[in-house]
Formats: sequence, C-alpha cells, structure tokens
Amino acid sequence: MAPATNSDDSHLQLLDKLDITPIPRPFRNPTWKPPQRRNKNIKQILSDASRKEASLLATQNNSGSSTPLPHGSSNASSAGNIALAQSNIAQAAQNLRTLVLERNGHNAFVSGPIATYTNIESPPSLHPAHQKHYCDITGLPAPYTDPKTRLRYHNTEIFAVVRGLGQGVAEQYLEARGAHVVLK
Amino acid sequence: MGSSSTRAGWSFDQSPRLSLPPIMSRYRDRKLSKTYTFVGSDVFADQNARQQSRNAFEAGSGIVSNWDVMEAVLDYIFLKLGIDGQDGGVGRPIVMTEPVANLGYSRKMMTEIIFECYTAPSLAFGIDSLFSYSYNSGKTGLVVSSSHSSTHLIPVVNSKAMLSHATRLNWGRSQSAEYLLKLLQLKYPNFPGKLTSFQADSLVREHCYVSSDYVQELSGYLAWTGLEERDHVVQFPYTEQIVIQKSEEELAKIAEKRKESGRRLQEQAAKMRLEKLIKKEQELEYYKELQQKAVTESKKEFKRLLESNDFKDEAQLEKAVRELDKSIRKARTKDVGGPEIDEEEEQPTFPLLDVPDEQLDEAGLKQKRHQRLMKSNHDARARAKAEKEKEKARLAEEERLDQERRENDLEGWLQERRVAREVLLQKIKDRQRLKADLSNRKSLASQMRMKSIANLASDTPNSKKRRRGGDEDTFGANDDDWGVYRSITVGNQSEDEEEEDINTSVKNLEAQLLQYDPNFTEQHTLDAQSDWTKSLMHAFLRGPWPFDPESQREINQIHLNVERIRVPEVVFQPSIAGLDQAGIIEVASDIFLQRISNADHRSEILKDVFLTGGNTMFQGFEERLRDELRAVLPAESPLVVRRAKDPILDAWKGAAKWSCGQEWKAAVVTREEYLEKGGDYLKEHNLGNAYQ
Repeated sequence: MAPATNSDDSHLQLLDKLDITPIPRPFRNPTWKPPQRRNKNIKQILSDASRKEASLLATQNNSGSSTPLPHGSSNASSAGNIALAQSNIAQAAQNLRTLVLERNGHNAFVSGPIATYTNIESPPSLHPAHQKHYCDITGLPAPYTDPKTRLRYHNTEIFAVVRGLGQGVAEQYLEARGAHVVLK
Repeated sequence: MGSSSTRAGWSFDQSPRLSLPPIMSRYRDRKLSKTYTFVGSDVFADQNARQQSRNAFEAGSGIVSNWDVMEAVLDYIFLKLGIDGQDGGVGRPIVMTEPVANLGYSRKMMTEIIFECYTAPSLAFGIDSLFSYSYNSGKTGLVVSSSHSSTHLIPVVNSKAMLSHATRLNWGRSQSAEYLLKLLQLKYPNFPGKLTSFQADSLVREHCYVSSDYVQELSGYLAWTGLEERDHVVQFPYTEQIVIQKSEEELAKIAEKRKESGRRLQEQAAKMRLEKLIKKEQELEYYKELQQKAVTESKKEFKRLLESNDFKDEAQLEKAVRELDKSIRKARTKDVGGPEIDEEEEQPTFPLLDVPDEQLDEAGLKQKRHQRLMKSNHDARARAKAEKEKEKARLAEEERLDQERRENDLEGWLQERRVAREVLLQKIKDRQRLKADLSNRKSLASQMRMKSIANLASDTPNSKKRRRGGDEDTFGANDDDWGVYRSITVGNQSEDEEEEDINTSVKNLEAQLLQYDPNFTEQHTLDAQSDWTKSLMHAFLRGPWPFDPESQREINQIHLNVERIRVPEVVFQPSIAGLDQAGIIEVASDIFLQRISNADHRSEILKDVFLTGGNTMFQGFEERLRDELRAVLPAESPLVVRRAKDPILDAWKGAAKWSCGQEWKAAVVTREEYLEKGGDYLKEHNLGNAYQ
C-alpha cells in the first residue's frame, strides 16, 4: 500500500505545481467583469449579425441614399437658411446621416462586396467530374446502389455485406457520407 | 490563436516559446475542497482534469465560443512569459492572428478582453496564413491554407490580399480525424478497445497521404499484390489470454496417474468378475449334481429338491444350467482370453405348437403359450435380418446402377449431381436469408412467425380449417402440422444439425464432382469460394493476413488501407464525406479563371501557389495540387506550387517579424483609440481582415 500512497502524493504535488488557480495575476484588471452571456456559438453570432445587417439595410433604403438628393436643396439647407435649419434640427440630422451613408455606400461600391464569414464559404460543386460514387463500406469505386438501404457498393460480395448489416448500421454509413435522413 | 494549438512568444524570438492546445479544465476537488485550474497540455496530467476539459473554440471552426477558457489560456500565456504586471496591466503591445473574415463579435470580445482585462497598450490583428505567406517572402500568389479547422484560398496581389475573392472550405485536420474515427468505428463495430479522437488525429498524421491519382490508385488498393505495404496494421494494447501450458513432465505425470487409477479399477473389476465366476461355477456344479440326482433319486424326492431350489420342472433346471454354462464360458474367454466360441445358432424347436390344445394339460398349455411367444420372437428376428440383407443388396444394386449410369451416360450423371448441388446451395442461401429476415422485425418471415405464434396461443384458433366447418380439432392428424413448432423456434439445435447435414451432402456431391467432372476443380468448391484469400472484405478488414477470431492480438488490430488515401482526399472531393462544397481544385480554378479578370495578375498569381497549414503536410499534397491544377488551367500557363518552410509555425514567425516592422506601427490599434472608437474598431492593413 505504501508505494500507492507515495505515487498519490507525487501526483498531488504535480497537480499542485500545474494548478494556476492560486498564482497571482497582477496583469489582470481587478475591476474587470466579463459581460453576461458572452459565450455564443457561431449560429447565434451569425444570426445576430444578420439581424443587424438587415436593420442597417432597411435604414439605408429609407434614408434616400438610393434616390440621390437634388444638389441644390442640400446646399441650401446647409449653407443658406440657417434659421430654417435651426428650426428643423431633425431634418438636419437626417441630412447628415444621409451624407454619411452615401459615403459608406460609395466605399462599398468601390471595394466590392465585403468578405464575411458566411459569404466566403465555397459554393457547392457543379463540376460533373466530381460526382463520382464510392463504396460506402470500402471506399472503392461503386457502380451500384442498393435501392433498399441507398448504400453504394462495389461488388456482389459487398452487397452481401450491405444486406447483412444490422438495423441502423446502414444509416450510420449514410451519415458518414452526409446522406442520412434527418428528422426535424 | 490557433484552434489546434495556441502559440505565443516575444516578437524577437526565432520560434514561439509556448505552444499549447487551447483547452482549460477548472474543477473543484470535493475531497480537498480546492479548485483546480489547468490550461493547455497540463490538462492531460490528470484523469479528472481531462474529463472536465473545455475547448475555447467551437468544434470544427476557428471561432472562439468559450471566452472563459480563452481568458484562462491568455492568463496562462502571460504567466508563463513572466509578465509581472508592475503597472497593473500586461504592458506590452499584442499581435494576434485571426481567421479570414473573422466574425465581428469575436473580434470585439477579444479586443475588449485585451484592453479592459489586461490593459494592454495596443493590439493588432492579422490573418495567420497571410503572415505565413509574407514570412516566406511571397508578394503575389494564391495562398492555400489548410489548417486544423478549415481550408482557405486567398489570392494575394502585390502583398495585398484580395479578401473579396477569398474562399473557405469547411474541412481541416480535425474534420479529417473525426471522419477517420467514424470510418473506423463502422469498420470495426466490435472493436474491444476505445478509439479516441486524439488517436484518430495521430493516425491521420502518421498513416495518411494524398494519392497522386486517386481513382487509379483506389481501384487497385485492395488488390493482392503489394497489399502488405499498403495495409498498415495498428496494434492496440491488449492482454494475452493466458493458456496454461503444462510441461512435458507434468503431462506425463498426469497421464501416469490416470493410467494408474484406471489399472486399479480394472483390477478391482477383474477380481469381482473372478469372484462371480467362481460363484457361478460352484452353482453350475451344484445344478449339475442336481441333474445327476434326477437319475439316482426317486421322482418325488427329485421334485421336492427342485422345488426347494425354486425350479418348477426339469426343463427349467436344464435351461438354467445351459445359461450358466454359457455365461461362464463367455466370462472365461473375456478374462482369460480364450478362443471366441461361436454361439451355435441352434434352431429352436417348438414341438408343442402343433399339438392341439385339447391334448394338453394345464402345464402343457402354459408351455405352449410360452413357445408361441418364443417362436414369434424368433421369426421377427429372422425377418429383420432378412430385411437388412435385402437393404444391403438394394444399396449395392443402386451403387452398381449408379456406376453403370456413370459409365454409360457421364454427362447426364454429372448434370444430375450439379443440379443437386445447386439445389443444396440454394437451400443454404435460403436459410441464410430466412435467418436474416427473422432478425428484422418487420420482414414478412417474422410477421408470419408472429402470426403462427399468436394462432397457437389463442384458445380459439381461427385457422382456415376451422372456419370451413368441421368443429373437431384436427391438429396433429397431418404430420406437417407439427412443422409449425419448428417454424416458430429460432436458432435452435435442430436447425444447426440440419445445416450440418446440408453441408455434408454438399461436400459429398462436390467430392463426386471433383472425381469425375473435368470442369469442376478445387476452385469451384464451396470451401474455396468462401476462402478468405479471395474475399475483398477480408482484405479490407484484415489485410493480407489470416484472421484468428480467438487471438486477442488480432482482435485489437486496426488495419488502415483504403482510409489512408480516402481521408485526405476529402479536401479535393468534399462530397466523399458529405460536404456539399466544391473541392480546392475547383475553387482554385474558379479564382484563376473566373474571378480574377486581370490577365497579368493571373499569370503572376499562378507563378506562386503557396501551401501552408498543418493539413497540407500530407505526403503528395503538393504534387497532387500541381497535377490537378495543370489539368484545369490553359495549356502553357506557368504554374509553380510551393510549400511553406514550416507550414505550422510560419504563421507565428511571420506575425513576430511583422510586429517588428513599419507596417505594424500603421496597423496597430492603441488603447486610446479603443477607448474612443470602441471594440469594433479595426485598422485595415495588407495582412489583416477588412473593416466592416
């Protein structure tokens, strides 16, 4: 029993050595509090981002940047009639925003669509040469498909194996190929 | 900040000082009432810690989803780099890598942590693969970066990445490992050990390679020639089942002991027999004397003597004497080994049978009845014997006829045999199918079985016979009725026996065919066809070696053959693993031929196709990419494919080098800028992402 406790001790010592809990971390800001619910998965992040984008797009569409303002009117409101502008601050703000959006829109037009996490994904393959079929069991070229299980197979011997598969195994094979049925 | 491992060091270092998997394990030990926190490889030091470990990154992507882990990893890095935090913060500018088109949220969170929690003076982000490219002094080219979680293709012109043309394929090393794991679990569903993703990852790294011509190589992969080299055997730990081998001496001793006890028993038996024999002989002597007395003594006295010895009359005594004599003789021959005396088959006579009953008295009638019984017994025996003889003759006759037929009409005879064999083979197949069907609850066969069970169990069986009229239960009148019981039992003894019967008759037929049919060779026999050397499945599962299901060593083996090229191939043909995206060749050709309109740029880019990232380290990756690109590009276009000097560490080295240069100064976001412009703020530069 003695050696066991000995190794236990040394293991505990090792754990104590590796543990970083008690080590002081002076470089951390003591007042730092992580925001609530900051751990999001990609799906959440993307849906949040797309919602934001959609609302931004809506403002852009309503802003009038799509239908350019007549030059004269903007000049007149900004340079000339100060009294009128002051009386109508809301309109002035509207104009300012339009200007900013117009500039942003111009930028976007110059540099093309911005790369985002979603739109840089490679599209589905359209090349006919890449529609080759491979045996689901062995990975060899598969000229046949079993109509019952929808598994692709290489020859008669593999077919016998396919037909001898237990329940649910065929579905697992399909899952490896991403061709399984997903119930939602 | 890599998803496979996070590397850190000072900008002046040659290579990163730290390289750790971005995992953290924080748990409370109830016994010691102490909270432990382990980061990076330290997590693997303890079983408990390993189970509680969490990854900072979302599985299969380069996006951070667990910021608590990320913070712990950063803590660990700063601790190990020896930052003392004199001014209450990290106090050093920080450069970090991020994936192409990183999500705004992730960047914002990271920026916030760096500036708020660690109070760093400045922070700059850049794309890992572009750092690697610039470190390998690339200016214009296509960066193909296949790393842990994804594969990116980014065209770069004059050191400026064309991010709008960048493309991501969601497949990297981790997905490869996962895929291999899935394949192996399907390949060996009864594998006794447990395959971990960690093991699968090392299998991918050590055994997989990119085939230069996938279809060509694949179709011959399980061919017999050279399979020894293609088939990699991975032995998992196992415990040998100990078969107790007794030494020669021990075996001899045991045999001796057994013999000894046998001998003792034999001796005892012989002694007993001898005693019995002696007793019997004495008895015989006595009875013989008694018989003698029949002559000397008076009739009455003799009768009295007989009765006192439990005999009814003289005949019985005579019989007893005869029997005793016989048994003594038998025993003697057995014991002493005397010559076998043939039992003379004396024809018994039954004189009384012909005498009419009227002429017999009471005893005579009894005798007659007895004799009649004896006679019928005797006759039956004779009849059986004759029948046996007849059967023998019939068989001989049959054999002779068979021979005759064979000699006269060999083809017809053979045909008959062949047909019989076919029928038997079909029967075997049918049985197998039935067995398989019965295992499926929904199959017709098992539904029929259920029906008959229900029918048998119900009190009022509503079989067709019943409904037709007759009320009486006729079950069993027909012998076939009992077959119902056979049909509802599954996998019982008799089935196995029947199978055995079929197998032996097939063997017999095959032996005959082998002997007489010139076209029927060893290869055609059932045994040869089910021989493992012919089996593709066997080659796939067990390689070119025989498999012994008893051997623990062989049970714990994994054979990698087709998987070795099947797994890395996914980057080229993502549809193999069910990924509905175009492979890197298609993407690259799309970038070259469609998206880049400037012809000068195109030829410049073609001159430098640059590979980086851990997933490109497969042997043959470069060659395959070159060959495939050559096939889709216009003839005579220049094409150079090269690989980073160190596909894994060059990203870090590039970042370190970049942070010492002028470009860094222009791209860095200072704390003041952060405080003024917020966490979303980012300065665009050549090696970084675009600001949205």
